[in-house]
Amino acid sequence: MILGLDVGGTQTDTVLIDGDRILKATKNPTGDNLLLTLRTALDGILSGVEPEQIERMAFSTTLATNAIVEDRLGRTGMIISAGPGIDPACFSVGPSFHVVEGCLDHQGFEAVPLDKSSVMEAAEKIQGEGINTIGVVGKFSVRNAAHELQISDWVKGLFSHVTMGHSVSGGLNFPRRIFTTYLNASLHELHTAFSGALTHILDEKNLHGPRYLLKPDGGTIDLMRSAGSPARTAQSGPAASVMGALALDGCRGATLVLDVGGTTTDMSVVLDGMPLLNPHGVKLGLYKTLIRSIITHSLGTGGDSVVQVKTNGKITVGPLRKGPPVAFGGAVATPTDAMVTLGLLALGNKVAAKAAMENLGGALGCNAEATAERVLQQMAETIAHSARAFVYNINAQPVYTIHQVLNEEKIVPTSVLIVGGPAPQLAPYVEKALGLPCRVPPHYDVANAVGAAVARVTAQVTLQADTERGTVIIPEAGEEHKTDRRFDMDQAIAMARKTLCRQAMTIGAENNSLETVITEKQVFNMIRGYRTVGRNIRLKMSITPGLIPQWKRSL
Amino acid sequence: MISAPRKTGLVFFPAFDWAISPEHPEREERLLYTQDQVMEEGLLDIPGIVEYRVRPAAYEDIQRAHFCVPDEAAVTTKSHLISAGGCLVAADAVLKGEVESAFALVRPPGHHAMRVVHGNRGFCNINIEAVMIEYIRTHYGIRKVAIVDTDCHHGDGTQDIYWHDPNTLFISIHQDGRTLYPGSGFPNESGGPNAQGKTVNIPLPPQTGEKGFLYALDELVMPLLEEFGPEIVINSAGQDNHFNDPITNMNFSARGYAILNERLKPDIAVLEGGYAIENALPYVNVGIIMAMAGLDTSFVKEPNYEKDYRPQSRDVTLNIEQLVETLKDLFLRGGLKKKPYDEGQILERKRDIFYDTDGIQERQNEKIRCCSHCAGAFSISSTASTGQHIMGVHIPMEACPACRKTALNWFQTGRKGAFRHVYLQDRDRGVYDVV
Repeated sequence: MILGLDVGGTQTDTVLIDGDRILKATKNPTGDNLLLTLRTALDGILSGVEPEQIERMAFSTTLATNAIVEDRLGRTGMIISAGPGIDPACFSVGPSFHVVEGCLDHQGFEAVPLDKSSVMEAAEKIQGEGINTIGVVGKFSVRNAAHELQISDWVKGLFSHVTMGHSVSGGLNFPRRIFTTYLNASLHELHTAFSGALTHILDEKNLHGPRYLLKPDGGTIDLMRSAGSPARTAQSGPAASVMGALALDGCRGATLVLDVGGTTTDMSVVLDGMPLLNPHGVKLGLYKTLIRSIITHSLGTGGDSVVQVKTNGKITVGPLRKGPPVAFGGAVATPTDAMVTLGLLALGNKVAAKAAMENLGGALGCNAEATAERVLQQMAETIAHSARAFVYNINAQPVYTIHQVLNEEKIVPTSVLIVGGPAPQLAPYVEKALGLPCRVPPHYDVANAVGAAVARVTAQVTLQADTERGTVIIPEAGEEHKTDRRFDMDQAIAMARKTLCRQAMTIGAENNSLETVITEKQVFNMIRGYRTVGRNIRLKMSITPGLIPQWKRSL
Repeated sequence: MISAPRKTGLVFFPAFDWAISPEHPEREERLLYTQDQVMEEGLLDIPGIVEYRVRPAAYEDIQRAHFCVPDEAAVTTKSHLISAGGCLVAADAVLKGEVESAFALVRPPGHHAMRVVHGNRGFCNINIEAVMIEYIRTHYGIRKVAIVDTDCHHGDGTQDIYWHDPNTLFISIHQDGRTLYPGSGFPNESGGPNAQGKTVNIPLPPQTGEKGFLYALDELVMPLLEEFGPEIVINSAGQDNHFNDPITNMNFSARGYAILNERLKPDIAVLEGGYAIENALPYVNVGIIMAMAGLDTSFVKEPNYEKDYRPQSRDVTLNIEQLVETLKDLFLRGGLKKKPYDEGQILERKRDIFYDTDGIQERQNEKIRCCSHCAGAFSISSTASTGQHIMGVHIPMEACPACRKTALNWFQTGRKGAFRHVYLQDRDRGVYDVV
């Protein structure tokens, strides 16, 4: 059996899966104490279940997200080497940010050597402030990690934890590398404590199978291995619902996935079973990062959003939320009240809900039922409008080759899959507003927990070979090799695949789910004057988000 | 956190799958390191810098600026259409008010492409600025345009296209034509009979440095722009004046380009040449994008700046001061004596044009109607070593009835002649005819 758990803003969902069957699903309120919430949820789902039967478990938690949003990050010093460009002071982050001399160019050649005395001076200053965690980031360190390794080597004796920029991602983008490194370093202590405590709880409950955390790219990572890059576990909620949609439906063709919750509606696009990934990285709080994620958009419209009638007679749904719906003791009318009024939802206090609708409809000259109908129509319209803009923006992303310009494959969703609590009630309205067939999968209300449960481990590597410099580097894996002029794409692919599989196994991938795909592949002849001096190879390879082979649901 | 004081559009199209030939300077690799530097700097994440997706230009867009022989398909590749289309995207972004200025960082370049196109000259087939300007005029009702071409090579193609247009001020700052391709761009080239003084060439001596470029800009270019009063300013932003450039002899720098851009404040900048792909373009382009966005560029420089940049010599400074003085006399103090022509007089000129990239020889015979009411109709008959023999007739925007009549007569006569193709480019009515 497989256990999946998703900690949401208000509800924590847990499911128990056996083969293709959801055996059990529970919902608990999410409390302020994450560990307590997890313990309660586990107690609930495990009652009457032999823990030995659970061979695998996965969690989508809010630990990192909340720590970032609520600014509960550990104090972290930063040592930065930049060289010319934008003033690195623009990206100052954390309580003790220091720029030292040293510069690499875009090929990774050293332009200015590091200055040991200024590095040590910065390190001692950070240490003097009582900080014992640091991040070390250099511009173009993904082309040559030497400066970051050197700084880290010089200062490691002074600190209990060092995160280096090249290890967080192989992608270019110095400011994002700074922020990603900072977040990883500053979450380290908190996350280590959390994973230790969760491990303890699981041991206590005799749950000994592999344990995973969900990442924003819809993949998982082994719980204990996640401490090396804790920021990679933030913002996993939207990914959980996408993976759930994929597990419960298959999402053939171009599918718009909507997860309608109490406060928000998250949207994403799945193309033939493959969620679309953000090419740059996810934004966490104020920080743009290099952490890969599924492209999602969160709209402030959900079942419990505030409904208002404007003076011009227009109804608005969201983005505010003020407590529960009237039907559940709240004070402000919500779409949930509209559903209760129309008898779509046989829950709560119908009389109160109806009164709220009637009150709202006064200004429109409508009775309760007509008002409720219009509220749901408006909610669907709001979602449809936002979804169209979301798809438009995906299609507006720049491309850099003639081939891509001329063979542009516009993404045009042909169907909609809705998950989340109010999915069945809302589906007919969304269908009408978007003019597309809408499906609601079974277990729509715990799709996110299902998604966490059956998502496989993902990983990616970025290989860059420069045969003029005579190097091939895979920064995420800390690999750098000397190479000769003959190094070619075939060798690059073989090397990247080997490293990728090894990386994936290290973070918990099983042998039978190592499906690798090439996501970017470019080779350039490097010519100086009129002479070929080398070859520049760029390769990105991934294990993309997908489902574990144990999930044998016949779709 | 950083954000851009001026909202700036960026159209980036490196054409990673196109080259003139595998080892040609205009090859796949050209903007690779620029892309690396732009990405690594995180410029596209800065609020206020907006990246746009390119689209290909249509043949109709090309036909407003060129006579392509025998037709557009024969002298353009997809890459040329996308490069020109990138400029149209930049123009739309600015003129729709989505951004204050925009930079089309596209290849291949275009400023050596003239009105008649038989093939590739100086790495250019289609004049991407001219295609953009005529698009702007057609779609946004703008008339007065200034082009400041800061490529190291004389922008002879753009000069040719706007030679007769009094509504376009074309200023080219370049390395002296006696020392560099295409060998033209001297002060006495100052515009056709209806547009005298609307072409200004500033041929700077080899080894001109930051000081010389900025002196020419401040003393000459800026006052000329002020006097002309354009509705829009275009910068043909070639980057081969750089001290690291392999095919020129100038001494400019990334900082210099950034300052030039800060002072010029073009509405739209378009990449032209520049072939120091690994040690100049990445820094110059970052400098230009940041300057357009109003960001502080004082930290932008080449890693080898301290080691390899030498300020220009005293001789060069004196030479430039003298040149600027001469040009000021001509173009700012009324020294350029405009030749008087009779209304309706037809002037003829014969020219030989060489297409270095494609090895084509062309002979042109041009007729222009002198006119004080409009830009004047003109016709070009052109014979090329490819065996082509064509005639192109141009009717300007807001053409006067007399010029229209003359042009239509030329077209009718041409049809009966021995030309293989006769083209009518009626900018006034937005018609392009081929017979």
